[in-house]
Amino acid sequence: MVRDLVMPKLGLTMTEGVLAEWRVSPGQPFKTGDVLVVVETDKIASEVEADSDGVLIETTIPVGETVAVGTPIARWSADGSGAAPAPVNGTASPAVEAPAPPAKAAPKTGPLPAPLRDGERVLSTPLARRRAQDLGVDLTTLTGSGPRGRIKMADVEAAAQRPVSTPAPVSEPALSPVAALAGERSKPTTMQATIARRLTAAKRDVPHFYLAAEAEVSELMALREKLNADAEPGSPRVSMTHLVLAAVGRALAATPDVDRVWDDSTPGGEILSLGRGDIGMAVDTPRGLVAPVLRGGARLPLDRLARDAAALTERARNGRLSAEDFEGGAITVSNAGMHNVTFMTSIINPGQSSILGVGSVRSVFRPDESGAPVLKRELGLVLSADHRLFDGVAALAFLNRIIAGLERPLRLLRTA
Amino acid sequence: MSKPLRYVNAIAQALSDAMAADPSVMLFGEDVAAAGGPFKATRGLLDTHGPERVRDTPISEASIVGAAVGAALTGMRPVVEIMFMDFVALAMDAVVNQAAKARFMFGGQCSVPMVLRTPHGGGLNAGPQHSQCLEAWFAHIPGLRVVCPATVADAYSLLRASIEAPDPVVFVENKALYALQGDLDVDAPRGIGKARIDRPGRHATIVTYGATLYAARAAADRLAQDGVEAEIVDLRWIQPWDEEAVFASVAKTHRVVIAHEAVQAFGVGAEIAARIASDLFDELDAPVLRVGAPFMPIPFAKSLEAAYLPDADRIVAAVKDTLA
Amino acid sequence: MPSSAPRNDPFPPDRLLALHRTMQLIRATETTLSKLFADSEIPGFIHLSVGQEAVAAGVIGALAPQDTFATTHRGHGHVLARGVALDLFFKEIMGRAGGICGGRGGSMHVADLTLGVLGANGIVGAGLPLATGSALAHQTRRSGGVAVAFFGDGAMAEGALHECLNMAALWRLPMVFVCENNGWSEFSPTSRQFAATLDKLGAAFGIPHRQVDGNDLAAVAQAATEVVEAARSDGPRILECITTRWHGHFEGDPQRYRNADEIAGLPENDPLRRSAEALLAAGIEEQDLAALVASVDSDIAVALEAARADALPDFDAAFRDVYTPTTLTAGA
Ligand SMILES: Cc1ncc(C[n+]2csc(CCOP(=O)(O)OP(=O)(O)O)c2C)c(N)n1
Ligand SMILES: [Mg+2]
Repeated sequence: MVRDLVMPKLGLTMTEGVLAEWRVSPGQPFKTGDVLVVVETDKIASEVEADSDGVLIETTIPVGETVAVGTPIARWSADGSGAAPAPVNGTASPAVEAPAPPAKAAPKTGPLPAPLRDGERVLSTPLARRRAQDLGVDLTTLTGSGPRGRIKMADVEAAAQRPVSTPAPVSEPALSPVAALAGERSKPTTMQATIARRLTAAKRDVPHFYLAAEAEVSELMALREKLNADAEPGSPRVSMTHLVLAAVGRALAATPDVDRVWDDSTPGGEILSLGRGDIGMAVDTPRGLVAPVLRGGARLPLDRLARDAAALTERARNGRLSAEDFEGGAITVSNAGMHNVTFMTSIINPGQSSILGVGSVRSVFRPDESGAPVLKRELGLVLSADHRLFDGVAALAFLNRIIAGLERPLRLLRTA
Repeated sequence: MSKPLRYVNAIAQALSDAMAADPSVMLFGEDVAAAGGPFKATRGLLDTHGPERVRDTPISEASIVGAAVGAALTGMRPVVEIMFMDFVALAMDAVVNQAAKARFMFGGQCSVPMVLRTPHGGGLNAGPQHSQCLEAWFAHIPGLRVVCPATVADAYSLLRASIEAPDPVVFVENKALYALQGDLDVDAPRGIGKARIDRPGRHATIVTYGATLYAARAAADRLAQDGVEAEIVDLRWIQPWDEEAVFASVAKTHRVVIAHEAVQAFGVGAEIAARIASDLFDELDAPVLRVGAPFMPIPFAKSLEAAYLPDADRIVAAVKDTLA
Repeated sequence: MPSSAPRNDPFPPDRLLALHRTMQLIRATETTLSKLFADSEIPGFIHLSVGQEAVAAGVIGALAPQDTFATTHRGHGHVLARGVALDLFFKEIMGRAGGICGGRGGSMHVADLTLGVLGANGIVGAGLPLATGSALAHQTRRSGGVAVAFFGDGAMAEGALHECLNMAALWRLPMVFVCENNGWSEFSPTSRQFAATLDKLGAAFGIPHRQVDGNDLAAVAQAATEVVEAARSDGPRILECITTRWHGHFEGDPQRYRNADEIAGLPENDPLRRSAEALLAAGIEEQDLAALVASVDSDIAVALEAARADALPDFDAAFRDVYTPTTLTAGA
């Protein structure tokens, strides 16, 4: 009997998904566990696996199209029978059952898209594949210089060095100054394309405003040093990021209004209070920047927070994040401190309402009351906020709470 | 201590020195004594070591090798010669079922310290029954060691090592190398199973042994003109072969060609290629390639044999293929 | 059924003259090969039977068309005596495309199965089991054929001879073991190679042994005719021909292991000279012998020219004969 494959719901807040890539073509049989389709949400690309054996009859949604969760995207049957065109929706057909998605509830995320191109294997050497993984290069975007187009290590290394080209403005592709340029062109990876689309949408659709301030962190750094020096075996190392997360968490707990997001999927929009104290955390991985969520970060004791954050970072770097890891959170902390930058003004993650960009610690002389120079250590913070939810005063109050936590760090040791 | 001499004389000297060092070493084979050996590899030994320890045998290959096994089991260290490697076919039972298995099947009660010297290789238009390279047969037999020296120095030190080895060694000499000149180092360390980096390089590894070393060198010279630095690993020992050296080189260059004169199919290169594929998969930036003789008995006519034998051209082409 | 009793009348002169021509052909061909080898026109190495021609001419002359034989590394004479095409013979030894074996075998592997020649052999003693099997086939198929195994005195030490004598005796195979005893096995004298004697070895298996002067054409021919016919009707026979190897073991062998007197005395016992004298004594004219030499030389010249003009073998073509084409395999 013919069944529909529907756009799965891959997370609590997922309402729609982009059909990124079919891994099975019509007529092709598949087995339980085979990846049928790659679906992208605004957070992540997920591989959807079959939960039973069958044969794909036809795909009903083209690649690149966005459809709502639950929409049929393909038809399949156990043995490939029923390949005749399906009756139009609504005309009852005994052969077509109510949507019974063969997709598993917990899809496997595919951090490394299997090197496929147009359903064909991308030829690459074992070394090239290993190197590509190390360098975060997506083999499907490369053209190999070896026999039969085989991708070799040198191709991967060359690709890793090429600057990423700026995507052309979506609305006026013909006028794009880039369109006419000569030079080597390649397709972005699924992940790159997802990120590009999300950030463009966020920057365009969310009314950002920004507040910048410095926090004096001499004490914070001293505390951090003491904590790490005094650490018992097995207790986690506390990093600058962990302390900032803790400060944000304390501020968030004190100002629950910050833990809200704007949902514009309904006409006129809705304000959604999350209230769980989840905090997004930007992590640089070989495959790009990702922002998984530190679950209940606002309420975690410092050492627990450090441990959870370290584990999350580890999973992100190993490509082991799942869709749930991106679920929730109204704010993200993005620490660029290790990169020698004073202020970083960030784009709010889609689906969130603020982001804190953290710069490097600077040693500076500041005048004291008498005008004499005093050595300070300052951390540059920029809070980007969604003006639909924040006004300037509320955002500033929130930022000041964060700063207060950083400047009087013993507070961070108290349970939130 | 170093002096230049020919490969064939290095063999004779190794035999002579081994006999001087150890009274249990003895030689026998067809025409090895009075005539000094069909290739003169045993010249002079009858005079220096006497007819008891240097003996001519009848043309009885099966019994020559069988007798070596018996002598080895009875306290001697015989070195026997099979005139052409093709003739080991007549002695296979003695090599495979007796020499190789005695220690194992007797529960470790004994060892069989013997050396079977035999020349392989083409280039002399000696035809199908006097040219073949059969080392892979023996490398396949647990209990045997197989060695194939490519240089004068190795001819000496590897033969000394083979004679000192406690187990049967098939010592393969390439006929085409007998006239080769080189330096001898009688004090060089002697060991089993160590390869030698003949020439360092960064871009591709050529694993080889025996006379094919010289084709590999010629190939490396030509590749160097194109800026390709090939590393040559001279295996020396085929059983056991030096995985460590080969793997280290391949891990460095990421490309490998295994070249030998023996028929490529089911050959020594096949084993090495398989091991590289399984153990060094992630290091490979190109398929593992082999250069060996085609699947044909070695033909007689000069023109046919020339087309048959693997040469520098084929090694160059293979290395370039790995770099393509 | 031919009788196995010795004939009393000597070979008639016209038969002897034909066998003498065979000897002359072998001698002249091998002398030519010796020169060609020295001039590097022949690759590899060759073993000449100069001085042993009477054995080839006499034994092969005694064979019937259905008979078969396997020979040795020193097998030119046997093959030539059987009548292999001279140009195909030269082409083979010179490594040409048109050689009887396509240039793949060379001197040590000349074979012509159409003539019952099971091949020369590079492995000492290896022809013995081949001939034994051939005899078994003759017996089984009742072909009336006899198989001859040529072997040197050196091969007496190979286990194969001992095994084959036993088999031939057990099964009463129509087979003749022809030993060309030239006293040398490579560079070693027979005395240092073999502790027994061939007659004793034959006796051990109950195989009649007969020894002849291998350089006396008439004697070889006579004895061979008798033992071949005896074998045909009565089972295996041994014919040991005492002969002389003039050249080195192979061409280029300086024979330092032989003493000068022995070498100097060889022409004394030249089978060709002896048969020429016998023929003259029997009334054959001097100019007939001279004409015979001239005709052999011109045959050789023609064959040699053809061989020199022949193309080199095609390498890819050689692959065709690694396996027999068959519809049973996908690749064939
Ligand atoms: C199995 C084998 N062992 C050794 C040789 C090397 N070999 C070639 S001819 C020969 C001597 C053979 O002597 P003999 O049988 O008397 O024949 P002759 O050369 O005298 O005709 C030897 C030892 C060989 N070809 N095959
Ligand atoms: Mg002889």
